[in-house]
Amino acid sequence: MTDGLDALMTIFTEFYYWITVVLMFLIHVGFCMYEVGASRYKHHQHTLMKNTMLIPLVTVTWFFFGWWIYWAFPTGPGLAPSIMNESAALITDESLFSATWYVPTSNLMAVNLGDHISGVFWAAFLLFSWTAASIVSGAIIERITTFAFGILAIAIGSVFWTIDAAWGWHFDGWMLKLLGYHDAYASGVIHAIAGGFALGVLAVLGPRIGKFSSSGEPRNIGPRNPWFVAIGLFLIYTGFWGFYAACNIPIFDLGPEYGLGDGVTFYTATSIYVTPTTLSGITFNFLMSLSGGLLAGYWVSKGDPFWTYSGGLAGIITASAGNDLYHPLQAMMIAAFGTWCAYKLHYYVERKFKIDDAVGAVAVHGYAGVVGLVICGFVLWGYPSSGYSVGSMWVGTDYAPINPIGMIIGAIIMFGLLGFLPGWILAKILHGAGKLRIPREVELAGLDYNIIEQARKDERAVG
Amino acid sequence: MAQVTDWIKHLTTDVDAATEGVQVADIYPAVGTEWMWLTVAVIFWLWWHVGTATGEAEEQQKLARRKPSANDYKKNITEW
Repeated sequence: MTDGLDALMTIFTEFYYWITVVLMFLIHVGFCMYEVGASRYKHHQHTLMKNTMLIPLVTVTWFFFGWWIYWAFPTGPGLAPSIMNESAALITDESLFSATWYVPTSNLMAVNLGDHISGVFWAAFLLFSWTAASIVSGAIIERITTFAFGILAIAIGSVFWTIDAAWGWHFDGWMLKLLGYHDAYASGVIHAIAGGFALGVLAVLGPRIGKFSSSGEPRNIGPRNPWFVAIGLFLIYTGFWGFYAACNIPIFDLGPEYGLGDGVTFYTATSIYVTPTTLSGITFNFLMSLSGGLLAGYWVSKGDPFWTYSGGLAGIITASAGNDLYHPLQAMMIAAFGTWCAYKLHYYVERKFKIDDAVGAVAVHGYAGVVGLVICGFVLWGYPSSGYSVGSMWVGTDYAPINPIGMIIGAIIMFGLLGFLPGWILAKILHGAGKLRIPREVELAGLDYNIIEQARKDERAVG
Repeated sequence: MAQVTDWIKHLTTDVDAATEGVQVADIYPAVGTEWMWLTVAVIFWLWWHVGTATGEAEEQQKLARRKPSANDYKKNITEW
């Protein structure tokens, strides 16, 4: 970098994403606290380890192949040609942003004075991967083996959510072009898919012992430590705010990017789709959707702390698909509606299908995400799904505008095709191999029985 | 309802000759209906206060009628 302004923009962008990664780390801290708060004493340490160990498992596989998938799969393959090379094959040629840049042996995947962005961008997406896996983790506590969870975490964190991000989040994704899919802050791309995946696993894994009476009536195994739940969810909110920041490009000149004319500049923050938005606007929307969710969660659960906090999260998730463009009052009302839907659906599915979702993750992330995508299709109907629709940078490829049908199909793809189905199939395979669920005796005694017993012996020995 | 249907056109169309170089800045959907959204939000906000206050009073009256003693809650503490 020799030009001062270019250097400033590059280093600002590098530092911006670096900070978002640190902020998003709080999501994982929050999930750990939240899960421990929701689990019973006899399962605490295994619950904590399960969620902690997804960090290295997903990180390593994200380095091996996850990041490559994101850059290789925007075309499907075979569904829509890339605007980079006009081919519908996997993007593994020598074109700009080709997946070949991001194989683990690439010189861009290391300290490189010619590239200040790849590592921080890789890490921002990696933190999204942890979140996707962590959402699944909460739903299945107290009865899954750590081995099975590790496999499932890698599948959702480094494979399936990455494919959906390539399809529906990448500026070159086929879902933008064919469906007009728009999901600025990942109602579907992370939350609906992770919720669907968790539901698929839960359908095979079954409920915790004692969750349902002999007549099938659900019993409440509520969170045991409201303080951990509260602090955990506040940390998740904080990290989610960092996530919102990470989903933007903080400063970008759309003038040359959109071909606005010789010497025309238009500096702005953009969404992940390289469409204009403002950090100011999304701050309004983040806080108003949090508030809408909290109000609805408090009301619908009659002041239950667990569901009130979860309602705040569900509210943000519902409004996230369109929070780059909504008015704050729209964001608030959409959030409140999505939270109400998530709460009602959670108990309906629990009663009807005997699904034991220990922390309401399928509802808060999955159902709220799906509702958010559908609403976005109506409220943003007609907006361009991409700035490149009629752009002069890459001529010859059109993008469909945002529309309800495209968003409904998108929701089905996220929740069902890339979420529920792989979760269910993988859980079936693990179940068939006898590796999915812990023995009944261990579940009753508690996963931490040996640890607690040893601790007691240690205490006695110490005197 | 869409305020923007083409980003390039939007960013290159001046509002009028007097404000050359200035594009329409409000890009949220349904510009001009802010009063409607505000009305809905205010009604929701007022209704929320009434609804939750009623529920809270009912719950507390129900508990008050049972007259638990100051130490009765200790019998209900679960292991966490």
